[in-house]
Amino acid sequence: MPDALLLMAALVFSVAGMGWLALAMDVHWNQVRASRRSPRIAVMLRVLGSVSLLTSLVLCLLADTATMAVLVWMMLLAVSAATIAFVLSSRPGVLAPLVVFSK
Amino acid sequence: MFASFRLSFAWLHTWFGLVLGFVLMVAFFFGSLSVFDREIDRWALPQTRIEAQPMPSFDKILASRFASITEPEPEEIEAASNRVTKPLPDKLTPSQYGAYTTHRDPVLGMYVGFDVPNSTLPDDHAYGEITIDPRDGHVLPHDQLALGSAFFYPMHFSLHITWHDIGYWIVALAAMAMLAAIVSGVVMHRKIFREFFTFRPGKKLLRSTLDLHNLTGVVALPFHFLWALSGLIIFAGIYFPVLEKLMQPLVEAHEREEAMHTGLDILPSGKPGTLASVDAMMAVAKERWASRGAPGEVGFLFVNHVGNSNASVSIYRDSTDRVATAEGLHFEGTTGRILFEDPPTGPIETVNAFLTGMHLQQFKHWTLRWLIFVGGFLSSTCIATGFIFFVEKRKHAHAAQGYGGSRWVDALAVTTVTGMVVATLFVLVMNRALPEDLAHRDSWEKSSFWLAWLLTLGHATWRSAAVLQARMSKAWVEQCWAIALSGALAVVLNAVTTGDHLGRTLSAGYWPVAGVDLMLLAFAFVAAIAARRLQQRATHASPASASLEEPERA
Repeated sequence: MPDALLLMAALVFSVAGMGWLALAMDVHWNQVRASRRSPRIAVMLRVLGSVSLLTSLVLCLLADTATMAVLVWMMLLAVSAATIAFVLSSRPGVLAPLVVFSK
Repeated sequence: MFASFRLSFAWLHTWFGLVLGFVLMVAFFFGSLSVFDREIDRWALPQTRIEAQPMPSFDKILASRFASITEPEPEEIEAASNRVTKPLPDKLTPSQYGAYTTHRDPVLGMYVGFDVPNSTLPDDHAYGEITIDPRDGHVLPHDQLALGSAFFYPMHFSLHITWHDIGYWIVALAAMAMLAAIVSGVVMHRKIFREFFTFRPGKKLLRSTLDLHNLTGVVALPFHFLWALSGLIIFAGIYFPVLEKLMQPLVEAHEREEAMHTGLDILPSGKPGTLASVDAMMAVAKERWASRGAPGEVGFLFVNHVGNSNASVSIYRDSTDRVATAEGLHFEGTTGRILFEDPPTGPIETVNAFLTGMHLQQFKHWTLRWLIFVGGFLSSTCIATGFIFFVEKRKHAHAAQGYGGSRWVDALAVTTVTGMVVATLFVLVMNRALPEDLAHRDSWEKSSFWLAWLLTLGHATWRSAAVLQARMSKAWVEQCWAIALSGALAVVLNAVTTGDHLGRTLSAGYWPVAGVDLMLLAFAFVAAIAARRLQQRATHASPASASLEEPERA
């Protein structure tokens, strides 16, 4: 079932991408890390987040025809963003692995 | 009139959102359920709990079933009698056959279109319909309600108000308001990116409600917009009947012109003719699809000018692998010769087919189906939190001034948020509790839904008196408990009356019924948690501590 695996991966990349974009914002970074964050890291998180979301799109395109893939991606983005928002509001620590590279 | 652009948009958003939000709540909640309408049908009609079936043989099964439909449904005859200039004859002539199935349908819906002579509408028909088990062709009872596809689904676009199609118009108005609410919401929202991921449930109710409203509104913005828009586009022909009202001569000329190219006659020949093997035509269609790298089953079969020498048979693929709806292959009925194949669509038609197909979701893509279902609930949450915010923001001022405004909004909000869910679960409970052989079982089920909903309105109104003192109405908590109980009860009743408990359906992998049961338990679970939290909040919060904040953010 390669299609199912592709879609699973697309979901993972889209959730991670939204997570990185959220952590690029001061208020959410502070929910996960006590230390201040350098501007360089913020840029890096934004790039990482954007690339991750684009990877998710590519995975969707590999799994389905283009029209279907765009719909799947659009809905994945919505669900991922909501998921990250709810994680941040209840257990922000869960997102710590996304910034394991920075103390 | 307003001090700023933003304030005028806030007014638009608040009042249009409030008045038509109640309708939108119905459209989005039942629309979400309609994503799984066929699965709800399986749950509600235990005798149809079998695997999905392909289109059966026309020659062996369908032909005789079509012939057994000898007259339109009584309500169709009644409606047609209002469209004619002379009284209807006793016997109407059948002229069209249609059969429709999808990869999720174990049963087959069939209809016969009867000519309506002397009608004020061109090419007018009245329809008779049956549902059959495609394995052997036996007709399923007519008075059992397919809850998903025949009750929840039409509810979401017509509210079941059939008088002059007014339900369609109310929903359309609400969809227009939704588009306006989306645009005005974006204009009002000052921190759309900065608060993109913001939800602070620990803050005061007013703040956390607005957070949730903004969050669900913004993250699913393309979904909200596209679904409201495509819903309008699907029924554009009803809202703007330009073709049949203003341009009828042009349309007829175009049809005549087109018929010359396609060989598909507009009018019956009047000479008798017999159909060649339709099974052979279906085989040709399947071969053609397979040769183009898109093998598939027949989704829709249509016979025009039944019994005439110029009868035609149109066959459409069950388009499981793409969003847009399918093109047809048309055969000469008496010979089985291919007359015409719908050409690839132009740009406008392609966009239309995409938006329509996206909304109707006949494709086979369970991930996308679930994502759209979740999208529908994000929309519903957005609308529901809008009501709660409206009440929270005003109830103290209204209580101080002795206004009843927020009380009535709260009562209606309870009715359209929790009350609607209670009524929905109650009809599922009744579906399992009523005797199987009860006459007019479908009417009993429908009545039980409306009655339950009416009761929730009464309950919400009675309990909303608390809002007059700026307290939370107990109706929210009590109806959440009602959801929890009726959801669990529906699952138990399903197990008791059919033996299909979760242990069996899950181990057999019969997902239509297992999925509905699991969703019912999820509803019950979430409602129970919500009820507990609301009770805790009500005991901890005293009215004095809940003050207004950020009043400028309407």
